[in-house]
Amino acid sequence: MGRSIAKARVTEARWFWVFVAPWVLGFLGLTLIPMVTSIVMSFTEWDIFNPPRFIGLGNYVELIGNDPIFAQAIGNTVFYAIVSNVVVMAASLFVAYFLNKSLRGINAYRILIYLPSVIPMVAIAMLFRRVFSPNGFLNQVLALIGINGPAWLLDPDAVLWALAIMSMWGIGGSTILLLAGMKGIPNALYEAAEIDGATPLRVYFRITLPMLSPVILFNLIMGLIRGLQVFGEVFVLTRGLGGPDRASTMIVLHLYNHAFRYFNMGYASSIAWVLFLMIMVLTVVVFRSSAMWVYYESEVKR
Amino acid sequence: MTYAHRMRERIVGYLVLTAIAVGLILPFVYMLSIALASDKTVAENAFTVFPAEWVWSNFVNIFSRSIVGRYLINSLVLCVFAVIGQVFVSSFVAYGFARFRARGKNVLFMILLATMMIPQEVTMIPQFLIFRELRMIDTLYPLIIPNFFGGPFNIFLLRQSMMRIPLAYDEAAQVEGASYLRIWWTLILPMTKPILIAIAIFTFSWNWGWFTGPLIYLSTQSKFPLALGLYFFTETSVAGAIPPWNLIMVTSLMLAVPMLLVYAFGQKYVYTANIGSGGTLK
Repeated sequence: MGRSIAKARVTEARWFWVFVAPWVLGFLGLTLIPMVTSIVMSFTEWDIFNPPRFIGLGNYVELIGNDPIFAQAIGNTVFYAIVSNVVVMAASLFVAYFLNKSLRGINAYRILIYLPSVIPMVAIAMLFRRVFSPNGFLNQVLALIGINGPAWLLDPDAVLWALAIMSMWGIGGSTILLLAGMKGIPNALYEAAEIDGATPLRVYFRITLPMLSPVILFNLIMGLIRGLQVFGEVFVLTRGLGGPDRASTMIVLHLYNHAFRYFNMGYASSIAWVLFLMIMVLTVVVFRSSAMWVYYESEVKR
Repeated sequence: MTYAHRMRERIVGYLVLTAIAVGLILPFVYMLSIALASDKTVAENAFTVFPAEWVWSNFVNIFSRSIVGRYLINSLVLCVFAVIGQVFVSSFVAYGFARFRARGKNVLFMILLATMMIPQEVTMIPQFLIFRELRMIDTLYPLIIPNFFGGPFNIFLLRQSMMRIPLAYDEAAQVEGASYLRIWWTLILPMTKPILIAIAIFTFSWNWGWFTGPLIYLSTQSKFPLALGLYFFTETSVAGAIPPWNLIMVTSLMLAVPMLLVYAFGQKYVYTANIGSGGTLK
C-alpha cells in the first residue's frame, strides 16, 4: 500500500515536469542563460566580429565616469519619467473625480476617455509628429489663444515636455484603475460626510484621495519603472536620434545605439545592468510599501 | 446639498468631461483630416484640423502606392502565431502548476513570479545573439518563438483561475479513465475560456503594436509588420523629401482601428482578467 502511494507520487511529479517543461525550457534558454551571459558580457569589450576581451569593470568605470551622453541620458530619462508620471497621475485623478459621478451618459465619456489608450504607440507617435510640427495642430490651437508655441520636437528645451504631453493620451489606463479603486471605498464614509454637510470637493480631498493613496503610490512607482524604460516613443518621435542635440536621448536608446548600431555588446550590456539596478530599487520600494497598498476593510490602520 | 447645488455640480461635470473628451479625441480628427488630404496639400504642408478635402481614394491607393498589404499580412502572421503560442502553452504550463504535487514546485512558481520583474533590456542582447546563432535574424521567428514557451503573467492568471475549478471534475474524469492530457484539453481548457480570450486579446494587441522587437530583428522591409512599416514611411524617402503624410495617417488608422474593435468587443473579458489579477493595464 505504502509503496503504491509512493509510486503514485512519483508519477504525479513526473507529470508536473511534463506540463511545466515548456516554461522551464524557455526560462533557461531565454531568461537565465541570457542573464548570466549578459553579466559576463558586461565585463568584456566585444564587437561580435572579433573574440571578446575581458576588461573587468572597465565598461562600468567608463559608463559612470566618462560618458557624458549616458549622464545626459540618465538626466533626460529621470526627468521624463517623473514629469510624465506626475502629469498623467494628476490628470487621471482630475478626470476620475468627474467620471465617478452618477451622470446620465457617463459611460460614453468613460469609453471616449479610455479609447486613445488602446491605440498602438507608433500610430500615436506618428500623429504627434504632425501635432508637434512648428505649424501643426498644437501650435494652431495655441495660436488661437494668442500663444506662440515652440517648435516642440526641434527645440531642445521643449522636446521632453512634448513627450510628456503625448503620454497624456494614455491616461485612460490609470483613470480606469483609479475608478476601480474609488468603487472599493466604503459608502459609509461618504454617507457620514454628507450628513456632516461636506462639499464634494472637500469629500474628494478628505476621503477619496486618502483612501486611494495606496493605489496612487503603486501606480506611480510602476509608472516610473515604465518611464525609465521609455524607448519606442522617443525613437519614433525623434527618428531614432534622441534629438535635437541629444536633448531626448534616453537610457534604452543609448543601450540600443551601442548594441545594434555600434555593436559594442559589452558596453551595451553594462548599460542594461545599470538600468536593472535602478529598476530593482523601485521594485523593492513597491514591495516594501505593499503593506500600505494592500488594504483589507477589516484591518485596523495605524 | 440643495437642488441648485446639485444642478451646478452636474453642469460643471458635463462641461469638464466634454472638454477633456474633445481634447483627447481632436488629434484623431486631425489624423483623419490628414489621411483624407490630397498629395497637393501634403506637398504644401497645409493640413487643417477638420477635414477640408475628402480624398477617400487614399484608402484604396495606399495598397498600390506602398507595400502596406505586405505589412498587414506580416502583422497577422505574427499576431496569430503569438496568440496560439501564448494561449495553449500558457494554459498547458498553468495546468501543471495548478494540479500536480512535486518537490520544488513552489520554488519554481516563485521563480516564475520573479521573472515578471526582470526588465527585458537585460535579456535583449543575449537573446539577439542566440537567434543570430540560429540564423533567424531578419525573420519573424525570433518574435514568434518565445510565445511558445508561455508567458509568466498569463501562466499566473490561468493558474489562479484553474485553482478555482473544483477537483471533483478532474476526479470524475479520471474515474472514467481520462489521461491528464485529455483532462487538460477537454475539461480545463474550455472552463477557463474567458481568461483565454482575455489573454488572446492582450497578446494580439501587444504584438499588433510591437515596435522594439521588429526594429531589432528585421531589416528587410517586405518582412516588417505594420507598426514598424508605418515608422519606415518617413525613413525611406530621399533626404529632404516630404513624407507622404496622407498615406502615413491612413496606415496609422489601419493600425488603430483594429485595436478599437478588439477592445470594444472584448472589453468584458479584459475587465474580468484585470480585476482577477488585481489590475495591471499595459
